[in-house]
Amino acid sequence: MKEELISTEYIVLIITAILMGTLARFLNLKEDYRQYPTFPNGYLIHLLTGFIAAALGAVAIPALMTKNFVAVTFLALAIQQFRDVRKMEANSLEGLEQTEFAYRGAAYIDGIAKTFEARNYIALTVSFITALTIQLVNNRIWINVVSGIIIGLISFLILKRVSKGKTVGDIAQVKAGKVEVKGSELYVDGIYVSNQLGSENARKLFKEEGLAVVIYPNEEHFRITLDNYGLRQAMLFEATRSVGVKRYHFTRKDYEEGKGIIALVPLVPDIDRMIEAVKKTPLLESVKKSHALMKTNLVGRE
Amino acid sequence: MAREGSIKPNYEILAIVTLNSKRILGGKPLSLLGENQEEAAIMTQDLAKAMKADIVQMKNGDYLIIRV
Repeated sequence: MKEELISTEYIVLIITAILMGTLARFLNLKEDYRQYPTFPNGYLIHLLTGFIAAALGAVAIPALMTKNFVAVTFLALAIQQFRDVRKMEANSLEGLEQTEFAYRGAAYIDGIAKTFEARNYIALTVSFITALTIQLVNNRIWINVVSGIIIGLISFLILKRVSKGKTVGDIAQVKAGKVEVKGSELYVDGIYVSNQLGSENARKLFKEEGLAVVIYPNEEHFRITLDNYGLRQAMLFEATRSVGVKRYHFTRKDYEEGKGIIALVPLVPDIDRMIEAVKKTPLLESVKKSHALMKTNLVGRE
Repeated sequence: MAREGSIKPNYEILAIVTLNSKRILGGKPLSLLGENQEEAAIMTQDLAKAMKADIVQMKNGDYLIIRV
């Protein structure tokens, strides 16, 4: 009976690796400026899936060491599980679309859902590297554990750094724009935005309380990214989420100079907060392109 | 939000308020004739409030009540 039980060394290895993987997921579970996830249920769901991911990464090494090669195929289960996490997040956010001030849009939801999936892979990888380190060091138990923790933490920091994306603020300047109402038309810094201010109330409201930001691309080619409809929708969503919307929200792009405009009547008239929210909008994976790659000659074309 | 040519617009014209009966040619939206600019503006305002919609004033003075 006792021979069938797992050895103490493996128990220590598995527990340390699981703890490191779960810790990695916990450290990635931030309540950031986007305020998502905000509630304890959200934390619980993601911590638990992170724990399961860590457990899958932790038992891979003992499975290999006991020549149980078939058992390693359960990592395929992990992939399926993380895909489900992505689908769950996407479904959940799509369901919330009608309840927000502005739509997140399909591109932004796809980006958020992929991030949640990737965070589980980070938990699994950190857990696997911790287990591998403990197995390779193979010294006294406490030396194994300390080595595992150190290498696990280093791998987490590297993965976090590598997986961190850029934001709108990295490729563009975001400044406050001057709101003008001429008849029923709205202009920001002299650029036409909308003609939906047909009533006196609307004109008065926008004149007195309207806020607008103008996005100036740092380089000409960044216009391709910034003009993307999905990214502009994401910027509008973040702007409306940060200051609220009393009435009206518009985006517009100026083709002549490549400027982008976001205008709205906020609940909280704080232009700095709105600028910060737009600057910190992540550059969506679906709209990014490598400018350097466009110049390469990969297929030997003359 | 503003729409570009490539994006399918999802707005709906709910009503047209005009001062010129010759501009009412039929169609799906409700068409109303105002006696003067002030009455047209009040009618438009009331309708837009009731339907939680937005108002566009055209250069000829007519109003469109739209929902985006």
